[in-house]
Amino acid sequence: MGVPAAVGHLDADCFYISAERVRNTFLLGKPVGVLGNQGAFVIAKSYEMKAAGVKTGDPIWEAIVKCPHGVYLKRDFRWYEVLSRLMLDVVREFSPEVEYYSIDEFFFRVPSDSERSLQETAEVMRHRILQQVRVPVTVGIARSKTLAKLISDQAKPFGALALVDPEAERALLDRTAVQEICGIGERRAKRLAEYKVFTALDLALANRKLIRSLLTAVGEALWFELNGDPVLPLYSQRPPHKMLSRGGAIGKPSADFNYIWGWLVRSLERLIEELEYHRVCAGRLETWVMHYDGQVGVGKVELNGPTDRFDLLLEAARLGLRRAWLPRRTVARLNLVATHLQWPGSVQRGLFDPPAERAETLARLKREVNDRCGRFALRSGATLFVNEFYKDEAYSYEVCDVRGKICF
Amino acid sequence: MLAETAALLPFLVLFLHLCLSVFICGSFFFFRGAMFGGIALSWSALPLEVLEQDELRRRVHERGGEREVQFLFRDYAPILPVWHEGQLRLVTWGNRRRDSRRLPCTGWTWLATVEAGGWSRCDAEPIDIPATMGLENGVWYQVRQGIRGLLVRDEHGAARVYMICEPASYYYRVMTRSHWMPVLIGERF
Ligand SMILES: [Mg+2]
Repeated sequence: MGVPAAVGHLDADCFYISAERVRNTFLLGKPVGVLGNQGAFVIAKSYEMKAAGVKTGDPIWEAIVKCPHGVYLKRDFRWYEVLSRLMLDVVREFSPEVEYYSIDEFFFRVPSDSERSLQETAEVMRHRILQQVRVPVTVGIARSKTLAKLISDQAKPFGALALVDPEAERALLDRTAVQEICGIGERRAKRLAEYKVFTALDLALANRKLIRSLLTAVGEALWFELNGDPVLPLYSQRPPHKMLSRGGAIGKPSADFNYIWGWLVRSLERLIEELEYHRVCAGRLETWVMHYDGQVGVGKVELNGPTDRFDLLLEAARLGLRRAWLPRRTVARLNLVATHLQWPGSVQRGLFDPPAERAETLARLKREVNDRCGRFALRSGATLFVNEFYKDEAYSYEVCDVRGKICF
Repeated sequence: MLAETAALLPFLVLFLHLCLSVFICGSFFFFRGAMFGGIALSWSALPLEVLEQDELRRRVHERGGEREVQFLFRDYAPILPVWHEGQLRLVTWGNRRRDSRRLPCTGWTWLATVEAGGWSRCDAEPIDIPATMGLENGVWYQVRQGIRGLLVRDEHGAARVYMICEPASYYYRVMTRSHWMPVLIGERF
């Protein structure tokens, strides 16, 4: 059977609130607000709280006046990220091409060999995410990204709608104000109003060259998209991070190779934890060495293909250290930076890499043992030379493990 | 000059009297009226035998279509649920109505006071106060398990519970404008 080429947009309904309700069903049906800015503002609200007039961005003191029975929670991005990954896993079951647009929004290409109709795909996806992640989502499927997002915006909450018929598209565009289109703000809407472009349909029917002159090439792309021409690419290979990094000061400045190598391997183990957590592979590994006299050396090593394997990254780190470390100089700090990050789904195995089976079995074993027995319970023998890791368990070498921060 | 001082004397006496009452109520004085408003417990979290008690009926409220019981300090006779010897019991909250001459006339005590042994002569016993939500200055916020409390006996042998509090974290202060916060079980704001 086969379906027409289509793009989907999946968006969780009140994601932060839904995520809190996953772990605390007591919150179901109640007006709930998540606070940001150290408890000062409402950054997300449930539909019940919205009905009471609370808006995103309201200070807590206004919110409690509008909604005295609301329950206010502290935000927990780590938890939201966990659920976001689970949702991504489900979307990937439906499509090999998924763009991680934001923590609760994904674009995906509907495979042309799908057994289901587009409408069925939207409904099954919504159902599967509710079943597996327990988060309500809305799915919109259309001929282009812009149309798909417009559909899911209007089908909220808990909607599932596929619209590829031009007549139905026209009706949708006709009831959409032009500023509701992603990328058109108030200022641009005002500009368009001078030319009697008020709705998305007006924009789609306007002269393309006029739109280009008013809104540049970005606006022209939107014009194509609204007319069902998918010109915006799906960034399925772009991970949310540009790079990940681990390292910092080594216990005491040293010129001893075994000691320095031990620290570097520990940083690599931490870096791999990060890669695994974010489910990305590194295309390049940079080893940064800051010497005691202030000199900095960098060793950049291209990997044969993006990877998160310990054995391959260890070799890259060894080569990187050789390039970055000035001979016999005392080292004060070390950093490993993984760049050119990619999703594993889009990674082709390097042709010249040694067989993966043994390395992957080892990595899995290590992960399982450490999950059960504690972090770094099973670790590389190279770290044996750094006695600090063993002498004092209370000494925290993990102070720098704040996700998303580089601590050179 | 002397006459002026003499005129001020009654005020001085009144001031000293006030200081004395503050001293009697101890450092707890400053909490009165300015503290934590209360807690709510979802209906389903309470055992049947407790739900049948009269004191609960007027404390039942509805939020989002679900019943809950609110225990507020401003209630005429404030009480709190506590887990004691494996059972959920309702106990008088502090000494707001000054029934006891021996105990501080508040509903709270500092964690630092407890840790410094300030209650050691009162046969105090740490207990858990189950809660689903806390209320402070009009802000209802989620509580995962409950709040730590101290169970004491007054001179008549009646049980009373004091909520344990600590200086507010920055987050809690911004959210509620309060300078104190309850010590939560297994979490911290
Ligand atoms: Mg959303």
